[in-house]
Amino acid sequence: MGWIKVITKESLLVAQREDLRNIMDLLEVSEKHARTLLIHHRWDADSLLAVFLEKERDRLFSEAGVTIAEPNVLAPLQSSQVTCNICNEDVSADAVTTMDCGHGFCNNCWTEHFIVKINDGQSRRIRCMFYKCNTICDEAIVRNLVSAKHPDLAERFDRFLLESYIEDNHKVKWCPSVPHCGNAIRVDGDGYCEVECSCGLQFCFSCSAEAHSPCSCLMWELWVKKCRDESETVNWITVNTKPCPRCLKPVEKNGGCNHVRCICGQDFCWLCGCAADQHHARSSCGSYKEEREKKTGQAKRDLFRYMHYYNRYKAHTDSLKLESKLKKAIQDMETISDSKEFSIKDFSWLTNGLYRLFRSRRVLSYSYPFAFYMFGDDLFKDEMTPEERELKQHLFEDLQQQLGANVEKLSHFIEESFDEFLQVDRIMGIRMQVINLSALIDNLCKKMYEFIENDLLGRLERVTHNIAPYESKGVERASELSDSWDSDDSLSMKTCNVDSYLQWDSSANGAGSSESGSPTDDSFDQSSSLDESGCSSRKRAKKEALDDPPFNLNLPAEGFDKN
Amino acid sequence: MLDLSRVQKELVDCNRDKSSGVSIDLVGDQLSHLAGTISGPIGTPYEGGVFRIDIRLPDGYPFEPPKMQFVTKVWHPNISSQNGAICLDILKDQWSPALTLKTALLSLQALLSAPEPDDPQDAVVAQQYLRDYPTFLGTARYWTEAFARRVSIGTEEKVQKLVEMGFPEALVRTTLENAGGDENMALEKLCSG
Repeated sequence: MGWIKVITKESLLVAQREDLRNIMDLLEVSEKHARTLLIHHRWDADSLLAVFLEKERDRLFSEAGVTIAEPNVLAPLQSSQVTCNICNEDVSADAVTTMDCGHGFCNNCWTEHFIVKINDGQSRRIRCMFYKCNTICDEAIVRNLVSAKHPDLAERFDRFLLESYIEDNHKVKWCPSVPHCGNAIRVDGDGYCEVECSCGLQFCFSCSAEAHSPCSCLMWELWVKKCRDESETVNWITVNTKPCPRCLKPVEKNGGCNHVRCICGQDFCWLCGCAADQHHARSSCGSYKEEREKKTGQAKRDLFRYMHYYNRYKAHTDSLKLESKLKKAIQDMETISDSKEFSIKDFSWLTNGLYRLFRSRRVLSYSYPFAFYMFGDDLFKDEMTPEERELKQHLFEDLQQQLGANVEKLSHFIEESFDEFLQVDRIMGIRMQVINLSALIDNLCKKMYEFIENDLLGRLERVTHNIAPYESKGVERASELSDSWDSDDSLSMKTCNVDSYLQWDSSANGAGSSESGSPTDDSFDQSSSLDESGCSSRKRAKKEALDDPPFNLNLPAEGFDKN
Repeated sequence: MLDLSRVQKELVDCNRDKSSGVSIDLVGDQLSHLAGTISGPIGTPYEGGVFRIDIRLPDGYPFEPPKMQFVTKVWHPNISSQNGAICLDILKDQWSPALTLKTALLSLQALLSAPEPDDPQDAVVAQQYLRDYPTFLGTARYWTEAFARRVSIGTEEKVQKLVEMGFPEALVRTTLENAGGDENMALEKLCSG
C-alpha cells in the first residue's frame, strides 16, 4: 500500500526532494548538481548510482554536464574591462558571468542564450555557450539573468525544471484526465498496474489509456482502433442492410416493398434473405427454419467474429454504466435509513456487493477483447497449434461463462434489494446471496487471471504481453504525498469530499466558527475536535465511507458453505 | 534582433584573412543574407572548385545557428545533390555562439575533405561512397568540373552575353552575383523568372 502517489502542482517539489536529497547526501553535491545528474539519468537514482559505482565520479559528472568549479577559476577577474568573445563588446568585469566550467561571457549574451534555449524547450539542459563545452549552466544564474529581462520566461524555466520530474521520469506520469486535473501519478514498483488519480480517473499506468486489464496495452490499443474504425460502419451495416444471396454485398432497402433487387441483378426477399421470384411471398418465407449453412467468405467470418466479441464487450460495458447509477441509490438509501426508523442500518454488504459487481463487470467486459486477440490471428498466429488454441479457448470460455453467469445473478439480487417494499427476511436472504456471490465472483476473477497469466500470456514465446494484475479491492487509488511526519491522516482528509466539511461547518453550531480564516484549515481543526467530542453516527458513517476505500472484501470464507 | 556589429566584425575578420580559402560577401543590402565561398580542399575530388554557399542569419544569431546551403551543386554524402542542404552538427544542435561564420565555413571545408557517409544527407551519394568508391570519386570530380570550376571568363563578358539574350542588364548583374558568377546557373534563374 502507498506505493502509488498522486503528485499535485503543490507537492511537485516535495515529490522530488527525497530523490534530490539522496543524491546530494551520497555524492556530496549541491542541489543544482543533484538535479542536473538526476535529469540526465531520467530521475532513476539507481541507474545513476550504478554508473557512479561502475565508472568513476568524474566520468559520471562530465557525462551529465556537471562541473564542480575550482575555487581559483572563480577568482575575480583582474582587469576592469573585458572583451566578450560572443558580441565582441568591451564590458566591465562585473557584467561578466563565469560558469562552473570557467567560461565567461557578458551577461547580455548569456541572457540571450538562455532565452533562445528556454523558448526552444531546452530548459532542462542549457549548456555553456563555449564550443563543445558540455557543462550545464547553473540554474540560479539562468533564473537571475532571465528574470531581469523576462520574468515570465524565468517562471517558465522554473516550471520546466520542476516538471522534469514528471516528464523525464518513467516512474511518474501525468494523469490523462480531460480537462487536465493538474496531477501526476508516481508508481514505485511494477509499472504494469492500474491507478486511480485523486481526480477520480482510473487509467492504465503503463499506456495512460483507460484501465483495460486483462487486455495487454497492445491488445487494447488495437481494440480501440478497431472499434473506432469499424464500429460506425459495422453497426450501421448490420442494422440497415442484408447481404445479397448472390454477391454477398450488403444491400440497403430504399422503399417499402420487401421484394428487393441488388445491383448485381439478383432479386431477393428482405424478410428471409432468400433469392426470390415474383411468387416468393406466398411460399415458405414466413416459416421458421434452422439457419442454413451459408457460404461465407473469410472477410465475413472475420466480421462475425469481431461482432461476436464486440457485442459482448459492449453489452457488459453498457451494463456497467447502468449499474453505476446504483451507487447514488445506495447513498440515498443510507441517508433514508439513518433518518427514518428502519429495521436495517447496515448496508455495507450492499456497498461491497455493488463494488464487487463493478469490478467483475469490468473484468468480464475486457475479457472479450482479450479473447478476441488471444485466440485470433492478429497477434499470436504462430504461438499455438490450432488444437492447443482450441483447447485453451474452451477452458477460457468456460471460466468466462461461469463468471458471466454469476455476475448476472449478483446484478439481479442487487437490483432486487432496491425494491422498497421488500420484507425484512427477504432482504436478509438477498444479503446472504450477495455476500456469497461476491466471494465466489472474486474467486472466479482470480482464477481467470491465473489462467491468463500462467497458461495463456505466460506461455507466449515470441512476444511478451504484460497485464495489470487482478486486485480484489479494485484499482488502487493514489495517495497523497506526505513530506515527513506530517500526518497521513490530515493529508488523506484533504482528498475527501469538501462537501462533507461544509456540512460539518454548518452543523458545528458556532463552536468552531469563531476561528475565521481559510475554510480548509478551520475544518481540519473542527473535524478533529468533533471527532473527539463524539459526532453523530451519521457523520461518522459518512466520513468512513469517504475516507476508507468504500468496499472491504475480505469476507469470511464460511459465507460460501452456507449457500 | 540580429547583432549587426558582430556580423560586420565577422565579415571584416574573415575577408582580411586571404589564406584560409573561405570568404563571405554581402548579397543584397541586408546583413542577414550573405554568400560564402569556399575553395575545394587539395587532394580531394573537390580540388580546383569554388563552392558558393547561401547564408541566412536568423534574428537570434549568434545564439541560433546560421542557415547554410550549397548553391553550387556538389556530389557529397552529407550534402543534398538536389538542393544543397547540409548535414552538419554544428549547424544544428552543436552550434555554439562562440563559433563564427568563418569557423562554420571552415567546418564545411573540412566536411568536404572528410565525408561522414554513416550520417548521410543524400542516401544515394552515401551508398555510392560506401559501395563503389571509385565511381563516387569520378562523379564528385565530374560535378566539380561541371559546376564549380573557377570562373574562366570575365564577368563583363558574361553580362554582355546574357544581355544579348534579351535580359535587362541590372537584373543580369544581380542574378549573376547571386549565382556566384556561374553563367549557367544565372541563365537558369533568369529563365525561371
